[in-house]
Amino acid sequence: MRQITMREALNEALHEEMERDESTVLFGEDVAKFGGINKVTQGLYEKYGAPRVYDTPIAEATIVGAAVGMAITGHARPIPELQFGDFASIAFDEIFNKMGKWRFMHGGQMEMPITLRLPVGIAGGAGPEHSQSPQALFMHGPGLQIVVPSTPYDAKGLLKTSIRDNNAVLFFEHKLLYDMKGDVPEEEYLIPFGKADIKREGEDLTIIATALQVQTSLEAAEELSNQGVEAEVIDPRTLAPLDMETILNSVRKTGRVLIVHEESKTGGSGAEIAAQIQEEALFDLEAPIKRIGSPDVPIAQSIHLEQFYRPNAQQIINAVNEIIDVPV
Amino acid sequence: MAEIYQRDVNLEDYDPDLLIELYKTMVKIRSFDENLIRLMQEGKVSGFYHSGIGSEGLSAGSITKLLRDEDYIYYNHRGCNQKIAKGVPLSKIYGDFLGTIEGTTKGLGAGIVHSADPSRGVLGQAGTIGSQLSLAVGSAFASQMKGTDQVTIVYFGDGAASRETMHGSLNWAKLYNLPVIYICENNEYAISCHVSETHGVKAHIADWSEGYGIPNCVVDGNDVLLMHEVTKEAIERAKKGRGPTFIEAQTFRHRGHFEGDPYDYIDKAVLQDWKDNRDPIKNFKKQLINSGLTTEDHLINLGKQVEEEILQAIEIAENAPMPERNRIYEGLFA
Repeated sequence: MRQITMREALNEALHEEMERDESTVLFGEDVAKFGGINKVTQGLYEKYGAPRVYDTPIAEATIVGAAVGMAITGHARPIPELQFGDFASIAFDEIFNKMGKWRFMHGGQMEMPITLRLPVGIAGGAGPEHSQSPQALFMHGPGLQIVVPSTPYDAKGLLKTSIRDNNAVLFFEHKLLYDMKGDVPEEEYLIPFGKADIKREGEDLTIIATALQVQTSLEAAEELSNQGVEAEVIDPRTLAPLDMETILNSVRKTGRVLIVHEESKTGGSGAEIAAQIQEEALFDLEAPIKRIGSPDVPIAQSIHLEQFYRPNAQQIINAVNEIIDVPV
Repeated sequence: MAEIYQRDVNLEDYDPDLLIELYKTMVKIRSFDENLIRLMQEGKVSGFYHSGIGSEGLSAGSITKLLRDEDYIYYNHRGCNQKIAKGVPLSKIYGDFLGTIEGTTKGLGAGIVHSADPSRGVLGQAGTIGSQLSLAVGSAFASQMKGTDQVTIVYFGDGAASRETMHGSLNWAKLYNLPVIYICENNEYAISCHVSETHGVKAHIADWSEGYGIPNCVVDGNDVLLMHEVTKEAIERAKKGRGPTFIEAQTFRHRGHFEGDPYDYIDKAVLQDWKDNRDPIKNFKKQLINSGLTTEDHLINLGKQVEEEILQAIEIAENAPMPERNRIYEGLFA
């Protein structure tokens, strides 16, 4: 199968969906002529031009607010981008209250077909306000679907599903995955929400990871395999809806769980997943659930210090060994 | 500085049906409000309500026989003035206060803020005041992209005008030349704070829009015909592709910000003057009778008809059932 980068996969998804549906409209800071600072939206302006593809002022609250105002007319399918996912904080009311709740609070009379793209993650010394992974904040907000791909294949299939969906989607893209290559078929496919993917099968313990940490966990799992420990690596792919069935089936099989994400540990998505596991499968566990997240402190700008935030394969291996060492 | 909008308006230049309709709409808005306050006093509705009494001319003037169903509005959170003028059935609005399934939200109890009627272009409202300003440019953008001649009017108070969203919205409106009309209902008070305590302006809130190159003016919002004229011009501008307009409409609320507000932060003499001399309904009634177009008796009868319509609407809304518990789990996603 052909291999392309996640950037290319996302770009293909955007091209295909904008071709397919002329009510789609893509906008954000530097997304048109410049093709986006991460170059994910390249070529769309050249193909569709304004007003289907346009550059906006630096105005995140207005970008998301306008997307809501477009969507609820029933005549537009907005695909806005916030240049950094951290900037969700600037548009918090528009995301948390308007995208998430407008339909419900007005009696379900309107639809909210918005896909808000949010590049996230620690990458290249971007500092405390350009490196965060704020996904979990929005798990607390009803009405928001949260998509977090970890491979080019998933990124393309999930983005196409997001754009076609008539409800609000927050689409989180880890910046270090943009250059990652992976298998992506030429033919069209979609990936449904709420369907976790077992990235690696194993009998000894379950690792639940998202975004870049799926790749780190797979790397660790290979090393663990050399040591005789077979880890199952599960990527939920969407945090809302969350496929607890796949997770619980794995937990019941292995009895041991590690959750890994780059989100800071306290209140990260792993906290919710761990809570749900203990509610449903406490007596299937043979060891306490462990979580690895980045430290609960602001992310330093220094590239030297940055590496100490992002969970690495050795940390995962160490944590797995602690879990495995718990006697039955 | 913003132009003070003035035009010679002579009643004989207007279709009598329009004049009567404007009057009737204002009376309906006030009667709706008075009856709602009665329902609060009877303990049937929460006092979380911001009465729109005293500002009916602003909404009737800018909507009645000017906007079509396909034109969008984002109403403000004072009274139900714009929703009523846009034709949302009264029983549905009462249903949203009483929490019965007759309401536009089918029992969620929208109260003053979250009623919607997309079939009539009423796209809802933000509980966080002023957030509608961002949404409005999006709706106008969608119309422009689709190539229709729909216009979007966004209503907001002087208080909401101080939100950051206002400037983001004005910038987009001008930048993309959007068919959007800003109507700032300036009743001088954001709850207890006078506009002079909260707004840094040359002289008027409308002056802000001047900086964006948006045509703007200040108008007597309690003169229903002036409101009609100024909005008509703005709608024509929008439909011709000439972009946004900012209208600051001056008015004053007869009651406090919420029911139960002591309303003791205003100058009583000023309020009395607005009530005695600048009441939109009282003044227009006088004009209509003086012009010989109609008689006092006729208008009294009209008022009775409206009252009857209101009471029937309340009956429909009250008689509808309350929602079942599972209502809270319905409609989050399409």
